Formats: sequence, C-alpha cells, structure tokens
Amino acid sequence: MKVELQINNSASPQARFVGWAPSPCRIRVTNPMGTLLPTTSVQLRSVSASGGGAVVFRKDTAGAFAKTLTLTVPTNGTTVSFFVAGKFGQPSTTNGDVRIEARARLNLLSAALTSVGFVPLMVRIRKNAESLTTGERDRFVAAMAQLNNQGAGRFADFRNMHTDVSSPQAHGAPAFLPWHRTYLLDLERELQAIDASVALPYWRFDQPAPNLFTPDFLGVADANGTVQFSATNPLQFWTTDGVQGVVRGPRNNWDPTTQPGPTVITEAQTLAIGTAYPAFRTMEGNPHGTAHTRWDGFIRSIGTAAKDPLFFLLHCNVDRLWAKWQRQNSRFDPAQAASYDSNPANPIGHNLTDTMWPWNGVTGAPRPPTAPGGPLAVSPCVSAPGPQPRVQSSLDYQGVVNALSREGFDYDDIRFA
Amino acid sequence: MTKKRKAAKASRKKTSRTRLSAALSAKQTPKQRVAMLAQAPLAVCESDTNMQAVLGVLRNTAEPTEVRLAAMDTMATAAFSVVAFEPCRNDYIAALREMSQDPSPEIRESALGLLAGEKDGFAQKKLLEGLKSPEKALVRPEKALQLLGYDVHAESYAVARDIVENPPSDTARREALRLLSADARSAPLFEKLLRDKNEKREIRQISASALQALNPTKLQDHARALLLDDSDYDDIRATSLEAIEQFGDPAHVAKDSDLLQSVERLSTTAPPKYKKGAKHFLSKYTR
Amino acid sequence: MHALHLSATSSEEEFAGYVDAIAAAPGCRGRLLDLLREDHPVYDQRGGATVSRMRGWVLVALARGPVSDAALPFLLEELDTGVDPYLVAAAARALRSYPHPRPALAPFVMRALEQIRYRDDPVSFDEYGAYATSTSATGPVREILETLAWLGPHARGVLAKLQSVARSRGLAKQATAAADRALDAIHTAIGNESVDTDSCCELPRSVISACSWPRTDRRDANAIESLPFEDHDGTAVTFEAVFRGHPTIVVFFYTRCDNPLKCSLTVTKLARVQRLLAERGLADRIHTAAITYDPGFDSAKRLAAYGRDRAVRMDGRHRMLRATADVNALRAHFRLGVNFIESLVNRHRVEAYVLDAQGRLAASFERLLWDESAIVERAYELLTESTEDIHAAGPRADDRALPPRSDSPAVGVLASAGVAFFPKCAVCWATYVSMFGVAGLERIPFPAWLEPVLAIVMAINLAFAWLRGWATGRMHGPLLVSAGAAAILASRAAPAWERLGLSGVGLVLVGSMMCAVDSRRRGAERVLATHPGWIDRTRQKAGLRVTPVSLNRLAGSWNLAISCLTTSVRRSTRRRSAAGEAR
Repeated sequence: MKVELQINNSASPQARFVGWAPSPCRIRVTNPMGTLLPTTSVQLRSVSASGGGAVVFRKDTAGAFAKTLTLTVPTNGTTVSFFVAGKFGQPSTTNGDVRIEARARLNLLSAALTSVGFVPLMVRIRKNAESLTTGERDRFVAAMAQLNNQGAGRFADFRNMHTDVSSPQAHGAPAFLPWHRTYLLDLERELQAIDASVALPYWRFDQPAPNLFTPDFLGVADANGTVQFSATNPLQFWTTDGVQGVVRGPRNNWDPTTQPGPTVITEAQTLAIGTAYPAFRTMEGNPHGTAHTRWDGFIRSIGTAAKDPLFFLLHCNVDRLWAKWQRQNSRFDPAQAASYDSNPANPIGHNLTDTMWPWNGVTGAPRPPTAPGGPLAVSPCVSAPGPQPRVQSSLDYQGVVNALSREGFDYDDIRFA
Repeated sequence: MTKKRKAAKASRKKTSRTRLSAALSAKQTPKQRVAMLAQAPLAVCESDTNMQAVLGVLRNTAEPTEVRLAAMDTMATAAFSVVAFEPCRNDYIAALREMSQDPSPEIRESALGLLAGEKDGFAQKKLLEGLKSPEKALVRPEKALQLLGYDVHAESYAVARDIVENPPSDTARREALRLLSADARSAPLFEKLLRDKNEKREIRQISASALQALNPTKLQDHARALLLDDSDYDDIRATSLEAIEQFGDPAHVAKDSDLLQSVERLSTTAPPKYKKGAKHFLSKYTR
Repeated sequence: MHALHLSATSSEEEFAGYVDAIAAAPGCRGRLLDLLREDHPVYDQRGGATVSRMRGWVLVALARGPVSDAALPFLLEELDTGVDPYLVAAAARALRSYPHPRPALAPFVMRALEQIRYRDDPVSFDEYGAYATSTSATGPVREILETLAWLGPHARGVLAKLQSVARSRGLAKQATAAADRALDAIHTAIGNESVDTDSCCELPRSVISACSWPRTDRRDANAIESLPFEDHDGTAVTFEAVFRGHPTIVVFFYTRCDNPLKCSLTVTKLARVQRLLAERGLADRIHTAAITYDPGFDSAKRLAAYGRDRAVRMDGRHRMLRATADVNALRAHFRLGVNFIESLVNRHRVEAYVLDAQGRLAASFERLLWDESAIVERAYELLTESTEDIHAAGPRADDRALPPRSDSPAVGVLASAGVAFFPKCAVCWATYVSMFGVAGLERIPFPAWLEPVLAIVMAINLAFAWLRGWATGRMHGPLLVSAGAAAILASRAAPAWERLGLSGVGLVLVGSMMCAVDSRRRGAERVLATHPGWIDRTRQKAGLRVTPVSLNRLAGSWNLAISCLTTSVRRSTRRRSAAGEAR
C-alpha cells in the first residue's frame, strides 16, 4: 500500500513549508495493494534529521497537537484532512530536514507498522540572525545578492518602494507596522522564489550581534563607515541607485558586536509601552527610529535606508516585537478597537480597510506617482493576504482569528498558541 | 476619539514632556540627558515648543558635544515619522545646514551626513569646496567623497579622478574609486587596477565590482584570467570566482574545462575560507 | 545692455550677474526664457544641484516683473513635476507675477503642494546661491500657499483639498498662517467678486501649444536613419529599421533619474499607452520606444530591468533602446531638452514624441505630464494619414480636426461597392469604383480577411474574361486582363515593383473594357441562341431593358470594378506590411 501526503493541501514541493501555525494537509491512499478493507489505519509521525526540525499533528482545527496522529483513511483514494505545525522550538535548518512518515499495519499477524509513504518538508521560521547556521546565513546572503543582481534585479523595486516620496504611505501614522510587515513579506517571498529554504532573519538591536556584523554576513565598517565584505561574500557586488557598496558606520564609538544599540529600549520595555495599539505604535520612535539612527550611512535616513540590507533585518525585529505584543495582548482581530488605531483623521493608506500602496497599483496624489513592484508576491503555501492587501489583513498573520488569514511566516520565539 | 484613548494620549504626551524637560535640564548628567533624549523622539513632533527646545540644545555650543549629538539623533529619529514630522522639517534642515559649519568636527560630520542623505545642494556645495580647497574642508576628504556618493548627479567625478591621481590618503583614494564605479569613462581605469597585483585587495575588489557594472563582458574575461593565474592572490581569485558564479553565463562556464580545472585546484590548495566557495562553485557545474 | 555669451565655462557669479542685468533691463526680460532651455550651453558640464541653483535664479528673476504666456510653461512644469524645493518655491513665487490668474492654474499649484509638502526645505531668494540656514526663511509650501491666496476665487476648485491640508495640522507654524491666509483670501474673494467666466478653465492656447503640438516642419530623418541602437535584448538595430513603416510613440528617460515624477513615471505611462493600444487593437500597428539619455551606463540589461519593473511590454515592436553611436545627432534630430555633466544627465524635461511612418517628428509633448489617451490619438491620426500627406514636402495642415472616418472597414468596402454597383453605364461604374474604391480603401483600416476574398474575385474576373474571349473569338481583352493581373501580383511581391501595380490596373481597365464593350454581337447571340427566350422572359419578369450588349457591358464593368478594388487593396496591404517587423 502507498499513500500520498500533501502539505498545505498541495502536491507541489514548493508548498512543503510550515511554521508554528497549523497548516492544512491531507492524505490519501494511492495504491491499496495489500489491503482488503474499505479503510485502513495510518499513523503519522515526524522524523527529524540530526539538528533538523520537527512537526506535530492534530486532526481538527482546534485541539492539542501531538507527536503522532492516527487516521482512518479510505482505501478508495478519498482524501482525509489533518493539520501539521512545526514543533515550537525546533525549526528546520535546511530544506527537507524533517519528514512526515505514514505507517500502517500491513501484516495482520504482526503489530509492526510499515512505512507506506513520506514527504520531506521544512519548518521554515524567521530566526535571530545571531543564531543562523553557516548554511542558513550563506543561503540568505546569496539570495539577497541574487535579488539585487548588482542593481538590475527585483531588489530595485523594494528600494524604490521606500523613498522620501513614498514615505507618507508608511510612516508617522498608524499603518507603519502593517505596511512594513507586508513589505517584508513581499521581499521574503521574492527571496523564497530564488531559494525556498530562505526566511528573513531579524537583528536584535537591543543585544550585541557578533555573528551578524562580520565580513561573511552583513559586513564590517571601516573607519570611514564603508562596509567591507569577504572575498567570498556575494554582497560585495551590492549596488543601489547605480552606486556600489554600503555605507554604514556605528556612531559614537559603539561596537555592535559587543554592545546593544545605545539608548535603544529593550524588548521588555517595548512590550510594556502599552496594551493598546495607539500607545504601542509609538515604538516607531524608540526602538525603531533609534535603531536606525545609531548608525551613520544609508540606514540613518528614511530616503536611503532601504539601500542597506540591514534595513530588512532591523524591520524584521520591529515586526517581531509587534507580533510578540500581539501574542501577549491577543491583538489579532481588527474588529477589536485596541488592535489598531482607527481615527477619521488617518491619512489615506492608514485606515483598516484601505488598500496599501504600492501593491494596490494606485498612483497620483495623494498616493505616490508610481507604484513599483506590482501586486504582492504570491506564496505556494498560503493564499493570504492576496495580491492587493488591506491594512487589516496583516494583523491576523498567524490565522488565529481566521485560519485563512495565515500569511505563512512565524518567529522563532513566538508560539502559535 | 474615545475619552479613554484621549486620556491615554494625553498621558503619553505628558510623559514625553517630562522626559524632554529632564533632557534639557542642566541638572542631569550628560549621560542621563542623552538617555532622556533618546526616549522622547516623537515628542519633538508634538509641539513647536518641544522641537525648538531640542534644536536649541543642538545649536548651543556651550552644551556638551555628546548631548548635542543626542539632540541631533533625536531629530533624525523623529524624521522617520514623516507625516508627524511634517511641521518640523523646515526648521530641521535649516538647523542641519547651520550645524554643518559648527566648531565641533563630530557635529559637522553628522550634520553633513544627514544632509547628504537628503541630496541637499548646500551640503554638496560645501563638500565639493572642501575637496577642491582643503583649507575650506569641513570633513576629511574620504568622508566628503563618501557623502558625495549619495547622489550621482553631485558633480564629483572630476574631483574624484584628481584624488585617484593624487590621493591625500589611501582611504580617500579608495572612496574616490568607489564613487567612480558609476562613471562610464572610468572602465579602463578599473581594468588596469584589477589586474595590478601590487594594488590592495580592496582596490581590486572595488575594481571588479565597478567593471561588472560598467563593462560586464570585460569583467568576466578578466575574472577568468585571474582564476587561471595560480600566482595571483587567493582573495582576488575568490572575488573573481564569485563574479563568475553570480553573473557569468552558466552554459559558457560549464564548457570551460580550463576554468573548472583551475577552480578545482583552488578548492584543494586555497585556505579553508576560499576552498568552500570553490567547492560550492564546482558542485553546480560538475554534477 | 552689454551682451555676454554664456557658456559652460562661465562662472556661476557671471551667470547670476547676467540674469540680474537682463531682468532689470527694459525689453530684455525675454532672454530669461532662453536661459530656461535645458540644452542651453551654460548648463553643460554642471552638476544637478548647480543647475537647480542657476535655473532657480532665473525663475526668481522672472518673479520680479510681469510673467508672459511664453514663460508660463516653465513655471507650470516645475509645479507639475518638480521635486527640488528651491525650484518649486521659485516657480510658485514667479507665478504670482503672471498678470492673469485663472482657475486652470490652481490644479498645478495644488498638485505641487501635495508633492512637496513633506520636503518643505527652507529656501532663500536673497542672493544667488544662498541656502537658508535660518528658520525665518521661506519654503516651497509657504510660497505655494501664498500663490493660492493670490489665485483667490480662481482656486475654488481646489478649496476642499486645501482645507484638508490645513486640517491635517501637518503644516509648520508659519505655513499654517499662510494656509489660513489662503483660505480666507479664497473665501473672501468668492464672496465679494464675480469670477470672470470668460477667463475660462483652460490655459491660454499659446501655453497649450507651447507644450503639445503637431510638428509642422517634419524634417526627414535621413540624417539619422542609419543611427545604430541596441535594444533591451541586446539586438543591434538602426533608426530606420525601428522607426520606418509605422507611427511610433517615443519617450526619453534614463535609469539613474532620481525624480520619480519624470523618468519613472514617463516609462510607467508608456506601459499604460501600450495597454491602451492593445485594447484598441493597434499594438501591432503603432509601435513604442523608450530611448535612454544615458547610453553609456544604461546597458541592455539595465534597460530590460527598468522596463520590466514598470510593466513595459518589450518585443520587436516595443523596445527600450540605447544609441550606440552618434548620440549628438539623435539629440539634434529630436531637439531634446536635456543637458549633461560628462555622460550623466544633469537636467531634462518631460518629453514624448510621435513619429510618422517615415520616422519624422509629427507631434511633441513637452514639459507637462502628457495624457496617455491624447498621445494615442495623435498616433492614430498618423496611422490614417493619406499617402499624399506622407509624401508632402511642405508643411502639413494645422491641427484642425480631420474629417470623421469610419473605423469599420466593412462599412467602407460596402459603401464603395454599393456606389459602384448602383445602376449606371460601364464607364461610370469604372469611374466610381476608381474614385471610391481605390481612394476609400486606402484611407480606411484594411481588414486582413478582405485580401484573400478579393484575390478569389480577381481570379473569377480573369476566368470570365477568358470565357468571353473564347466565346467571341477575340483574345486581346483577356490577354490584357491577364497581363494586368500578373502585374498587380508582381507589385505585391516586392516594394521595388510597386509601380507595376498601377500599370496592372491600367491593363485590366483596358482589357476589361475591350471585353465589355464588344461590338461583335455574334458572341452574345451565340450564347443567346443556346438559351432561346431566356432574355425575353427575364426582361418581362424584371421589367428591365436588358440587351445582349448591356449584359456584356455588365460583365465587363464587373471585371473592371473588381480589378480596381483588388489592386487598390493589394497596394494598401503591401505598403502597410512592407516595413514589417524589423530585426
């Protein structure tokens, strides 16, 4: 007997990625040889490679997860649904380092279970850049370099989405966090189109980062603030606005490899800013703005910040802080007043039901004159938030309120439930 | 807005004002004041009074430099909140221009750095004047060149070429070359520098990257030649390998047995950090 | 006043002195406009910021006296697409010196406010090259608000937007006061004065024509027909190969342009133009091209990436191009509004052009943001130009509206056929067909399906001619018709043999008439003898006077009509597809 397992309800290998939030899956018998009964009992279990990820299972949309799951599967090929999630705290480090194995009792005289099918997958999680393996780091850096393609790649769109002209769409008003969450998601999906095993890492700016600011990762600034990369680092060809290189120097004798960002408030302080969104979003000032301005160089000003790859790791941490605050205060539901800062005076693009530029393709005042990048990149794993997301669609990123809102990313230290 | 939210907002504003007052108070130590300023960046957007108070600290040459720099950082942080910062920008830019001529070199460099990021014509004019007439320089030449590189339209190519010919320092020469990496006329210069084994690694690396931007075909030819030259430095050969891997024509490379053999040798004789790159390269072409 | 020849080596101080002098000299202010030409030699080899300082000073000089209609496009341009705070502020200030405030100016001013409000940098007009370092300086937002106050009741159309800006509380303290003054001025003026409706909502015609016009001097493109380009695929092509044989919409840009309201928006709009063309089924007949000002840096790879990122269609009919030689000749031919520092653009205007099928400039859209539908319409007019218009050496007629035409080819053909077949004598039929068939068919869009139909009809015509010849024993007619048909077919085969088509028409005409006007009744009578009484019965039923001669004439005229129709259609087809897809 053979079975087929589909992750995210898709037979495509591109869809074999899960996070902490449950992913819908299904199983069906493809070859019933060896069984005479109309149904068969199949046990699912997680098999991890050394250092690899692990997954857990549950049958329904609610309930506890377990290490194994036994399903009664018709032998006529009808599918049976179930859910898979990454086991919190055990993410993958490479693609396919965990697999779901289906076993069944094929010999009536023996209780032994025989493997009848398996599917490799990845528990793909956004991690602290400090904790990446060498392989994870190198794959991320290679994908970023390829996206940049020395200025001729799709990265140019991401650079052009974050300029002085477009900044009112995303800054100084309530949609600051939703816009940047969507921006990061768009970039991450483009990276995954290059290498599906890549997830965006984050920079804990309130902690030292000795592994991040190295020649093999995001580079080391010289005395003049010009970032140096190793000879094997593909980021050495990084180009934006037709000019090569990255300018990023730590200010005021700060050493980011041994010290946290000076005067940047800690994670605990950030999460304590307030339990309602209007208060919490003031984190745009500190720690967000402060993390930007601890440096000289591109990342210090809004019009040039997106020229530096570090920008995306900085904002990934900003987003993680928001996600953690949401988990802490149960702020996933847009209908809940405290989840957002709705105000009639909000400018366009900052109301819950507004579509967000540039993905909405709307141009001309009050929106910017052009809309680089087109619609939001699609994912083979999830359908949310759609090609033209609204502000509200970014709140329920894990699908807590509505499973269909799941956006397909998770953070290493924020569980689903 | 509900009463509760209004009250919360008022409370936040009060907290910001308190912090700002503490930051402005000479009774606090400089370190305390720096910390207070960092905690209230959005307070400058809340009222003209707050903004003027912070700008007042920035302008006051009697204040400790670290406190003045913290005031500048507070304004720069607040500037990220574009919509909220709108009423402040006019005064902010005026203050930065004023500070670009401050007696303190750190204040000048910080102010010019922020203005250069805005492609401010005033800053560009001052930086160019300083490069042409060193007695008027407000920052080091390498910093001036770096800041002029924010805007390709900044009229800096001629002075950069002069500095390449007559560099006041190695760093200045390197920054001048980096700036010229977008100058189509400089492609022959980069070819020459790339093949010069007497040049420093970073100069040759800048040249490789510049040549890839200005004349990719030439760079691929040179990169190949460098890889075939076992007598050249491993680091520049590693950069060449990276250039071929990223930008080369895979079909062409797959048929180039000399190149693949050379990379094979690199994968066995080079230091460990370069071996890995060579092996990764070979894994793509010798499956 | 002492004349000064400004050049690239003139110092900024010399420039400023000259500007101040001519601004103050009576009768010399018109020279200020010449200094606003982007390609003026004085801007050559200057950086972007320097050019902004210089141009801004000219605008400030304009503000000191009455601003003419001729100057208005330069001011509106800066408000429409400017991102430099100094230039926008200067333009807003200068506009207040225009003697005719009118509603049409308000949208430009309001748009400038929306675009510059988050870059309200302080500016100084006190002296040349001064940058404001004080908080008491002016800025673009303040200048724009003062201009809105100056517009008074003419700004009522943007009152709601201005109120929204004022309510947002995002304005600086001094700008808030200016906004309140503007609102008061508009409200007060609306209340007290009657707006002169004759001043209209349109810009002065001279202003419109300064920015967008059909070119009356369509110089030929012979000088640059062999200019080499490389397209987005790296394919080498020439000017002639790209631009001859069809109208083309051309825009200019460069990838390092840092004003999103210019190049990035221009190329994005080109993509919209392409979609409009596709919706109207014209994408294969009206081509588009985006040519870079910066061919040294904008490689094929960069062109392709830039176009791809803006959803531009790129193929053999729609290209992104860089000139690989003779860049100056290209600039001269298009009279481009651009200048450079070394190879990098330091300033350029928004410009789009429509070339006719001979590659000549037929329409220009300059300075102001052009409308996608308008440019498509211009190109469409060129598509339907007559042969006489295309070959005319003299100036083309002005931009009066062309007579309406049917877009439906079927209507045109049926109309021609209907007129042709209205009862009349054979010679009249031939005449009508020649006039309406040939002339009409060549002027309407030709549907591809008609060609094989007419080819079949021509074959039928030939067969009838031979049948009649055998019947009458006179072969001259059929031979001439055959020769004519052969000549028409040969003219289709190669452009060089186009004139054979005309000869073919003549031969078919003569041969068909010979067949038709047959004085030898023997043939007809022989036919009739095999079908006795048929004519009489037919005549009685139809009540027509049908005779053997008229029958022959009918047949002959049919032959002639079909020959002429076929010839004209074939000529049109061949001409339209001769340029084809240049490779």
